[in-house]
Amino acid sequence: MRVRLLCIGWVASLLVNPAGAAERALSVTIYNDNLALVQDRRDIEVKDGRQRIEFADVSAEIRPETVSLSAADISIVEQNFDFDLLTPAKLMEKAVGQEVTIVRVNPATGAETREQAQVLATNGGVILKIGQRIEVLRDDGLPVRVIFNKVPDNLRARPTLSVSIVGTHAGTRRATLSYLTPGLGWKADYVALYNESDGKIDVQGWVTLTNSSGTTYDNAQTLLVAGSPSQVDGNFQPNNYRPPVRRQTLQQPGTESGSRERLGDYYLYPLAERTTIANLQTKQVSFLDVHGVPAEHGYEFRNHWLGTAETPQSAQSIYSFSTSSHAGLADQLPAGTLRFYMKDKRGDPQFIGESRIDHTPMGSTLSLATGDAFDVKVHAIVDKRTRLSTFDWQTEMRYELTNALPRTVVVKLRQDGLWGDSSVKAESQKSTRLNAEAAEWSVPVPANGKATVTATFETRY
Amino acid sequence: MRAAALILCLCLAAASAVVPAAATEVVAEPPSNLNVTVYRAPYRNSGSISLDSLNGFALITETRLVRLPAGVTRVRFEGVADGIEPSSAIITGLPGKVIEKNRDARLLSPAALVASAVGKPVELLRSNRKTGALQRSSGTILSDAGGGVVFKTEEGIEALRCSGLPETFSFEPLADLSARPTLSVEVQAPSAVTQEVTLSYLARGFDWAADYTATLSQNGQHLDLGAWVTLANSNGVGFPGAHVQVVAGKVNRENGEVEPVDIGGPILAQCWPRGSTSDQPMVLRRESMDRIMFKKSLAAPAPAAMSLREAVVASAQKVQQEQLGDLKLYRVPERTTLASRQSKQVRLMDQSGVPVDAIYGADLATAYRGSESTATAHRLLRTKNTIANHLGLPLPSGQVAVFDSYNGEQLLEHESGLRDTAVDEDVEIDMGGSSDVQVSVTPEEIRVDSAQATLLPPLPGVSLRSVKVDEVRRVEVSNARAAAIEFELRLSLPEGARVVRADHPLGAKNGRPIFRFKVPANQTVAVRFQTQGIGDGILRTP
Repeated sequence: MRVRLLCIGWVASLLVNPAGAAERALSVTIYNDNLALVQDRRDIEVKDGRQRIEFADVSAEIRPETVSLSAADISIVEQNFDFDLLTPAKLMEKAVGQEVTIVRVNPATGAETREQAQVLATNGGVILKIGQRIEVLRDDGLPVRVIFNKVPDNLRARPTLSVSIVGTHAGTRRATLSYLTPGLGWKADYVALYNESDGKIDVQGWVTLTNSSGTTYDNAQTLLVAGSPSQVDGNFQPNNYRPPVRRQTLQQPGTESGSRERLGDYYLYPLAERTTIANLQTKQVSFLDVHGVPAEHGYEFRNHWLGTAETPQSAQSIYSFSTSSHAGLADQLPAGTLRFYMKDKRGDPQFIGESRIDHTPMGSTLSLATGDAFDVKVHAIVDKRTRLSTFDWQTEMRYELTNALPRTVVVKLRQDGLWGDSSVKAESQKSTRLNAEAAEWSVPVPANGKATVTATFETRY
Repeated sequence: MRAAALILCLCLAAASAVVPAAATEVVAEPPSNLNVTVYRAPYRNSGSISLDSLNGFALITETRLVRLPAGVTRVRFEGVADGIEPSSAIITGLPGKVIEKNRDARLLSPAALVASAVGKPVELLRSNRKTGALQRSSGTILSDAGGGVVFKTEEGIEALRCSGLPETFSFEPLADLSARPTLSVEVQAPSAVTQEVTLSYLARGFDWAADYTATLSQNGQHLDLGAWVTLANSNGVGFPGAHVQVVAGKVNRENGEVEPVDIGGPILAQCWPRGSTSDQPMVLRRESMDRIMFKKSLAAPAPAAMSLREAVVASAQKVQQEQLGDLKLYRVPERTTLASRQSKQVRLMDQSGVPVDAIYGADLATAYRGSESTATAHRLLRTKNTIANHLGLPLPSGQVAVFDSYNGEQLLEHESGLRDTAVDEDVEIDMGGSSDVQVSVTPEEIRVDSAQATLLPPLPGVSLRSVKVDEVRRVEVSNARAAAIEFELRLSLPEGARVVRADHPLGAKNGRPIFRFKVPANQTVAVRFQTQGIGDGILRTP
């Protein structure tokens, strides 16, 4: 008989919390910039009149101002987000003025003595009033248990969302709770295996989902959006920091349309099956697998204005390929990291460097740097600076290129920072003016050999 | 009646539990055929590795046997390196379709146990200090927020370890926490199969460097250059019987965000304020908190020290070099064990009789006019990385310890860094400052040619003046050594200035003027030169 009573009590406790783990359908839409939209559909038990419904298992990082609840025949009075957490200190603090039970334990016999006490203060130590006497809790260091009667109403183990509603008639109905939360994000990770003999790459793409929102999303229908809707950050402090100019990876933006689904200007990557996104989990799902795409391998060296070095500096090793449907990856690429691998002499793939890519439309040409070339180096030297007049300078540059590889390489040598009115007065080979501020030479360097480029710039400002 | 109630109860329990589509779980066999390729920290300067911060990484490839039943299976790869970058994981050889791969960062730890047990029934254990009798009572953990634990029993609500009694919890078995870093893959196999699967991933907590020992010959004109590859692993996972490679050169790493990881922690049973009447009054008191500091405990001696006293040895095993794209790969010829928290050294090279030029040099900054100054000359050892010089092989970046002999013993003379040096490049080893060779600079004459000044009036009352400035300097190089030395005096002039006259022949190095001359034993050589530059000045006319 006792078993049944316990059991009924347990079932009842389930029903008291109407927004509990009943039939629940979660859908999670994850954007790139650490932002997700969670839509949580569940059956809630609504009584007639005013009541409070608690949603305990929402994201611990929920942005409470974005919460909306919709269900038939209810009207919302207010929404609360309680983030006062239940800790021993808070429990004691909220018990000030109230009765607690203290249990003194005799250290010699283990015998317990129970007394009622009133908590007077918790400033630095706990002061109790026992009968007509005042005591400091455990001042003598002997064991004393403190037993509280109840947990104060708004103290919780996790931040909890509650909504006060007015129901027009009692019954179970389907409610949708939706909110935005940080802590969920995704990016793409690409694996490119470069085949040196035929100059082709095999590329696999994975979406990588991370969840640090403190909550597990069970059996959720997941949609990934390649884009980051602008988030107005209330704490944004404008500052003067400007990140250094990155190397342009997108050589030629594409103009082809793929068959992927879109939302506005964002591409969508729905996950085929419902999945559980556990807290602190990194999850990867494949979305791209292409073989035998032609890729070009080259070298690039950029010298900043008046860049002169004591020792030769390595050129960058560059791989470029297309995302076009003709002789390319035939897909648009969501932003992420592309890791290059190459087979060693024994046939094992080895990592040779990685590069970030931005959202890339289909039909683009990408040029990615994987690292420094050990054997291809450039020594840039400012040979002479002459002042022609107050605001007019002449600069003689010398670039010594060396190649310790047993084959000829072509280095794209680029002089940046031609600011003001700059012109090339003389040069040992013809340069291309990429833009007003940069000149580039395409320099073949023979196998195990050297090449030298000289140039004279005149700068007015 | 009782039985019926029990059955009803069980049915309800089963119906209310949300069970996702159940995938059977299979644990892959421990790895075999391990392959570890270590890359150096991309932004570390030349020099030795520091075991306290191994900022390089490794590519780990391993083969594991997997027994798959038909249908959807979750394959667990247990015991991957703790520094794993899960987004770099590649799994090949699995039959059927890979649905997803996961890395759960929650490890089984006391704090994780409490966190997973919040809201769930636990057993409270309380011991009687006197009798040792254990009292068990069932309860529920209400909260573990803020580092304190609040629980509920039939008696009421209490906080853990605030009473001064020995108390703890006993938990129900939990499935979702793993003891070791684990990667899992959900896969759909058409039929039951036993298959070898290759898993490869990048992991942090590795590094390597070349450690060179250079021994000068008696006359100081030749070097014996030996080197070790020193590699280290600070992961908690070891790699027994592995093929080990290191890669020289700098590869691009995007310093991207690291996937979240929970390294676990103790139960922080923080309590309410526990001040007593005997406490000194204080303004603020920090609650003492026993946090586990996640520091790699590396008590092993630095590997560089091991190689320090070693003369050139003929070692049986050397790494083999091969080209990997634009990088250099060095292969340890035999399988070896790279244990957890271990550093290992393998011989890289032994080259003897490398001719070197010993040169003294000083860089003279004349950008600041006037003032007398002295500088200490540096000794440099110079050679070229060619076969004729008994080298002619790529020299990966590292630290060079130069030894010289004294009374038949090899003593350390200087340590300096070496950058990645390709074949046919110049090699320069800095031997540090020498107090025997001093350089002093004296400005002798400064002349402004006012006649040729140009005046620009940009604003009323203010003129901008541009004028030629001639300066004559005398540099004295003294040699207290008993032998003549080669000396290189390099100038660093202000923009647009040039040397117009000098009493020694003038050359150029890397775009800067340089004087090369000999200083005889126990003598001083003076160099005089005149520079001409353009000085700008602002004049205020009354």
